[in-house]
Amino acid sequence: MMMMLLLWWLLAVCQPAQLTRCPGTFARVVLVRPSHGTEADRNKVFALKILRKTEVIKLKQIDHVRHERQILADVSGHPFITSLIASFSDHDFLYLLLDYIPGGELFSYLRKFRRFDEDMARFYAAEIVLVLEYLHEHQGGIAYRDMKPENLLLDADGHIKLVDFGFAKRLGNNANDHPVETYTLCGTPEYLAPEVIHNKGHTTAVDWWALGILIYEFLTGYPPFWHQNPIEIYRQIIEKPVVFPNDPPISDEAKDIIRQFCTVDRSRRLGNISGGAARVKAHPFFRGVDWDAVMQKRHRGPIIPPIRYPGDAQCFDIYPEEDVGNDEYTDDLAMMYDDYFKDF
Amino acid sequence: MSSAGFTSPFGANTNPFGSGRVETGSMHRVVEEDENDVVTSPTTPSFGVTGGGLFQGPFGADAASDAPSFGLRSPPNPESYPAQYNFARRTSVSAESLKPVADTYDNWTPPQHPKSEEQIERLKNAISGNFLFSHLDDEQSAQILGALVEKPIPTKGIKVITQGDAGDFFYVVEKGSFDVYVNSSGALQPGPDGMGQIVGTIEAGGSFGELALMYNAPRAATVISVESHCTLWALDRLTFRRILMESTFARRRMYESFLEEVPLLSSLTPYERSKIADALESQKFPKGHVIIREGDPGHSFFLLEAGEAVAYRSGNDTPVKHYHKGDFFGELALLNDAPRAASVVSTTEVKVATLGKSAFQRLLGPVEGIMRRTKYVGVKSGVEEMDPLHVP
Repeated sequence: MMMMLLLWWLLAVCQPAQLTRCPGTFARVVLVRPSHGTEADRNKVFALKILRKTEVIKLKQIDHVRHERQILADVSGHPFITSLIASFSDHDFLYLLLDYIPGGELFSYLRKFRRFDEDMARFYAAEIVLVLEYLHEHQGGIAYRDMKPENLLLDADGHIKLVDFGFAKRLGNNANDHPVETYTLCGTPEYLAPEVIHNKGHTTAVDWWALGILIYEFLTGYPPFWHQNPIEIYRQIIEKPVVFPNDPPISDEAKDIIRQFCTVDRSRRLGNISGGAARVKAHPFFRGVDWDAVMQKRHRGPIIPPIRYPGDAQCFDIYPEEDVGNDEYTDDLAMMYDDYFKDF
Repeated sequence: MSSAGFTSPFGANTNPFGSGRVETGSMHRVVEEDENDVVTSPTTPSFGVTGGGLFQGPFGADAASDAPSFGLRSPPNPESYPAQYNFARRTSVSAESLKPVADTYDNWTPPQHPKSEEQIERLKNAISGNFLFSHLDDEQSAQILGALVEKPIPTKGIKVITQGDAGDFFYVVEKGSFDVYVNSSGALQPGPDGMGQIVGTIEAGGSFGELALMYNAPRAATVISVESHCTLWALDRLTFRRILMESTFARRRMYESFLEEVPLLSSLTPYERSKIADALESQKFPKGHVIIREGDPGHSFFLLEAGEAVAYRSGNDTPVKHYHKGDFFGELALLNDAPRAASVVSTTEVKVATLGKSAFQRLLGPVEGIMRRTKYVGVKSGVEEMDPLHVP
């Protein structure tokens, strides 16, 4: 009952502002702010992720959407993860109301600057290590499964916020629980781990592989395995070692941590081996990093986004409203599927 | 936003603007340069469309007019950049949710379509070089080959797959040949040249459409029969992925249950056991094979997955122990490098799962530490009793 009242309030007072980003094919994110309340309330800005039920069903993403809502609710409040404020639904749509992170995607900055130097890459990688440590080791084994610069936003002080938990999955419930590997292929082609491609069953180890790809892309401007044809990307991931260009020069420590993350054999992959995230933090690439300072955000990020006012959306690309499916959510569909969406 | 007092441990030279200052002002300058780029900002053309959207914003126009274009640009320095790398945002991909039978209580079994010996051989050859099949074990391989279903293509000019369409099947050519066309627009177009350019021909023994085995992506080409009476073998994604999943899932659960029976590893948490199960490697040996030899240094331990084996000690022709499915031997190798105390020989064809001491230690650290955790304090004598391979 409490929940229903809250929903009503949000739907009534949020004044839709502007379409901001469109991360998937079936979800849109718009910027919203309350249209009523005190002036302070009305100045607050939120991101509203909108999913059309018929598209979720058609694209077979029901499980993923449910996991996303549940996991976001569980991990809200971590300094480097976007906070879920509420979730709700109406006849046709599911909604996730999230903190608005104004700095835009790290992806945009990376493409703009072509590549990051090692200090910048280290700053972002360190924050991501703390996120992965939290998800994998303190949350009973949540695999995030879609690490890439497109899913990392910058807050006003230049710190990372991990967004889009559409593929996140909880593999176990607590440290003594029995984590079961998972089999559904998902992620982004350039960042898929070999065990995902081979359908061997995958675990949180896929996130460490992806972090290796990410650091490589930070430092060079492009991922180690790429091709216009995705199947060629997968062939390379399976068959080829990571090779580094001569230009830009990459330090031995950076090369080593990338190679250790991008190791096909999971009994050798850094992050997955004995010691877990602690061993990652102790790697020479992170030498000198004060991990408490990272967690407490004691230093501003190397890029400070140009934000002019709360709710400024200039750091985001604006996407046209694509003609995503407009199929009717019929009574029959509602009968079949509403139960799956009842947590919203 | 001045950067005075910016004392990042990540170094003073982290400023991408090169001035040592981090200021929103300089950000704007960098951003504005972009407006002269030939590449059009994605924000520009789309804004009008946005205005017609479900949610029309009060400050939309304002924001768009001076929004920086974080547009995509071609790499400015071609020498140090891959020339054809597409710098656009990358879309996530996802296949259908897959859950093992054990979790879903349905009675799925892989389809079996009978084939002759020669057909099996040809199919084996056709997929042997394909990286999607390269890691399969014998059982998985046999199931996949059995699941391929014959698809006759009676006449010339039949489009087996159409560029831009959804893809669910992978095909192997048994007989006949097929032309491959690519339309640069990314999809088949109407009209006589709608298929685009011919880019190749696939003959018997060739295959196409493998991306469909991973997830549903639009077909990258149109493939059309060039003669009558062609034959294809088809395999759909769900069948392929389920075969791999079911066998892997079953084997993993079996390893975990075997591992629970190893006293030396009794203090492992379920999480640790699952990591070990993940790292175990399957090996097959013929009957009469010496799996471990007395006196050799021990480096790995073995679980007997299928078949039977016996242990002998030198100077004694009578086996000191018989091993059956689920039994284990050589686990002291995880503890030390002492020579094997006995030989283990297969008495049937056997399948073992094996793990080296180094892999174990990489994953969980030293075994001694694990044993020290709990009741295993008196381990020395305990191990002697339970393991005939231990050197007294």
